[in-house]
Amino acid sequence: MSSIGRNLRTDYLQANEVFHRPYQQVLIVFVIIIAALIPAVSSNFFVHLLNLSFLAAIGALGLMLLTGFCGQISLGHAAFLAIGGFTTVILIVHVGAPFIVVVPASALSGALLGFIVGLPSLRFRGVYLAISTLAMHYAIIFLATFYQTKFGQAATAGIPIPDPTIGPFTLSGDREWYYLLLVLLALLTAGCVNLVRTRPGRAWMAIRDRDIAAETFGVNLARYKLLAFVVSSSLASMSGSLLAYYSNVVTVEKYTLDLAVIYVAMVIVGGMGSILGALLGALFITLLPFGIDALFDYLPREWRFGSTLFGVQVGAVGVCIIVFLLFEPKGLAEIWRRAETYFDRWPFRYRPLESARR
Amino acid sequence: MAETLLEVRQLEVVYNRVATAIQGVSLTVAAGAVVALVGTNGAGKTTTLRAISGFLPSEDAEITDGDIEFEGRRINGEPPYRLARSGVILVPEREKVFATLSVSENLAFAAQEDGAITLDRVFSYFPRLGERRNQLAGLLSGGEKQMLAIGMGLLCRPRLLLIDELSLGLAPIAITELMQRLQEICRELRLTVLLVEQNAYAALAIADFGYIMESGRVVFDGPASELLAHPDVREFYLGGCTQTETKSYRDVKQYRRKRRWWG
Amino acid sequence: MEFLATIVILTCTNALLAAGIVILYKAGRTVNLAHGELAIVGGYVFYSASLSGSDPSLPFAIAGALAYSICMGVFIYVSMMRRLVGEPFYVAILVTVGIAIVLKSAIIVIWKAERLTIDFGVAPAVYFSGGATLSYMDITGVVLTIAFFVALFLFFQFTRLGVQFRGTAENALLASQRGVNVNFVLSLAWVIAIGAATMSGVFFGARAFLSTDAVMIGLAGLTAALVGGLDSLRGAIAGAFIVAAAQYLTVRLIDPVLSEAVPFLILLAVMSIRPWGLFGTMEELDRV
Repeated sequence: MSSIGRNLRTDYLQANEVFHRPYQQVLIVFVIIIAALIPAVSSNFFVHLLNLSFLAAIGALGLMLLTGFCGQISLGHAAFLAIGGFTTVILIVHVGAPFIVVVPASALSGALLGFIVGLPSLRFRGVYLAISTLAMHYAIIFLATFYQTKFGQAATAGIPIPDPTIGPFTLSGDREWYYLLLVLLALLTAGCVNLVRTRPGRAWMAIRDRDIAAETFGVNLARYKLLAFVVSSSLASMSGSLLAYYSNVVTVEKYTLDLAVIYVAMVIVGGMGSILGALLGALFITLLPFGIDALFDYLPREWRFGSTLFGVQVGAVGVCIIVFLLFEPKGLAEIWRRAETYFDRWPFRYRPLESARR
Repeated sequence: MAETLLEVRQLEVVYNRVATAIQGVSLTVAAGAVVALVGTNGAGKTTTLRAISGFLPSEDAEITDGDIEFEGRRINGEPPYRLARSGVILVPEREKVFATLSVSENLAFAAQEDGAITLDRVFSYFPRLGERRNQLAGLLSGGEKQMLAIGMGLLCRPRLLLIDELSLGLAPIAITELMQRLQEICRELRLTVLLVEQNAYAALAIADFGYIMESGRVVFDGPASELLAHPDVREFYLGGCTQTETKSYRDVKQYRRKRRWWG
Repeated sequence: MEFLATIVILTCTNALLAAGIVILYKAGRTVNLAHGELAIVGGYVFYSASLSGSDPSLPFAIAGALAYSICMGVFIYVSMMRRLVGEPFYVAILVTVGIAIVLKSAIIVIWKAERLTIDFGVAPAVYFSGGATLSYMDITGVVLTIAFFVALFLFFQFTRLGVQFRGTAENALLASQRGVNVNFVLSLAWVIAIGAATMSGVFFGARAFLSTDAVMIGLAGLTAALVGGLDSLRGAIAGAFIVAAAQYLTVRLIDPVLSEAVPFLILLAVMSIRPWGLFGTMEELDRV
């Protein structure tokens, strides 16, 4: 009859399944096929945008694990990206290491840094932790600036990075990059999905919901908090390294506090505590400025002059953060979930109580 | 019977949209009476009180059915400060005083400009507060904090004083003393009080009328003296001190079944 | 003498910001990360309002700044912060981050991110014995800051509203049970904090310049508040002084490049040595 009964989860193993609904496998295969076909039919620019979103999504996955699952708020994500970028620079300029070595090495250096940045989390919670990551951000960016002014060639233009080569291939065009990033993102997403439904993920969620209670249930707080920081920052660092290769330049000006906030925005807009949310949020926030740019085509031409467009692009991110936090705190992932539930229960409807609607 | 001050009809409260805490609770508080609402842990006493004093939204709970009328006016879902100004004053269970303010600041915080009760009057009721008027309230003992909380309540020009767990965490002798003092004050000021208590004996001893709650329903009600004499109440709330024969588990089950039918 | 004067003025700017952060922290356990932005936008509003008449006029400017503080404070509280009661702590912080971005974009869109100096043209420097140079604007700034703190102290200590304010900060639930309109009190907290920030932004704009980079003064204010203790107004003054002295001495004695780095270096030091600050209470670490 109706599908309600089929989708109710009645035991722990069911709750732990990756696919809760019969059509999810089909849907994922479908999405992957579409994604693989996109470069064949769309413009270079659109592929470029998708590449940027994929890069952002890798970083956003990292922040989602840390903030969305472990509940540790971090305003230092840009610093993790910077570490990836600057590890890449150092390895290329001073060592001459190849792409295949540099990216994992960046992830590793990110992990090390994540460990250090995570140390305050053993002592602080909440607001104070957020401030300590803020301080860490400035400290790391300061070191990076120091490096760039001392060793970089032209301090303002940044340090150039050559196109990466894997064996005989050189990755230069957007389309080649697209497939590399798509595969990488798919693998990392699968990894994250599995991570959060196994022991570390459950420990993180326990810490997020109530750290003291988690500790009494035998979760080693120090270990799992640090693990969250390490995993998060190594993902971000990998994303930073790839971004450095992709954009062929590393400059400290890119890694501002605003960038960290943009990543926070991705996590919020996507929906705290959802891997799908990290992907959706990254896509949404990356495409947002370009969408606004496109909207400006319909407005009077004078509005484009000066810095109005840039200002609106910046402000839109802030508005997104506020609006989602106030009106849709679980983000795009929750909208998706509601749609799913709606179709599951059709033709019956789920009516939230008065207070839930607010 | 005197006119009705507070009337609760068929109240139902749901927490987090799933957990029903109380169902179909009805209460009447007559003007000038001291009414006790007695029950064990989780019986729904505090929820009832919160519903009356307008504190449910902050707990993610809501009234899904029923009415609360104060002086004939429906007060469901009014914000707490509005209720407080119209005279429904709650003395909460814990965190009942401002720990970082001094005793007299605490009292001044509550005082209404044209209130009939002054700070000095409160100090005369509770001389111990007068001695410590410049101390920080956080440094008071549990009993003194309770006195201070009642004093603050009195200064708010209460028409209906709701007291949550007066006896919580106090020594038995302090409870008796405090209850007696409360009774004196109520008589003197002709106050209407709804007393929510786990300590059934202490509450019923000073109350005029009592309600007993279990599992979110009112299971007994009646004049306090009758309740005190009722054999079931004696057994389950007052320690069953007169029952000489030992009871088997089946008797207890029998009682629970009976009670369910009443609820 | 010169260095003392500079430190005093820097202290005033920092202390006004720190006081706002402390008030907001006490009122809602929220660290306002948009404070620098609120201050600088306040400075811009002050500047624009002064030009609304035919020639630059101080009364217009003050009225504009006042209106800005009140509208902004009430708006932020009523439309955003009030809805966040009972949400996880990070929601409020992230909302302030969102506010910060929106304000920054407002600077770009409305004022074209222009570098402005607030100048009424009536302020020749005053020379003191010992070589200190102060403009009238600076002197006004110092006097007004002192007046602000004295007024704040009197307000909290002796007025009924001030006592209600302190009570609400400690336990908003109980305060509303005692008949205090918590929404009014908390809106007032935002208005006072933004008012102080605006003053700070104006004095900063008079000494240096307003721009999108100037929002960094928020970091100095936050550091000052943390050094003194997030829940202590006394601490805000002490912290402001320490941060100001450190900023000035680094610029003078070590390297001007470092001056931007000073606040966060102090921040790191405080976080590792005494995270609850000089005058703050240790329990606060666990409260949020």
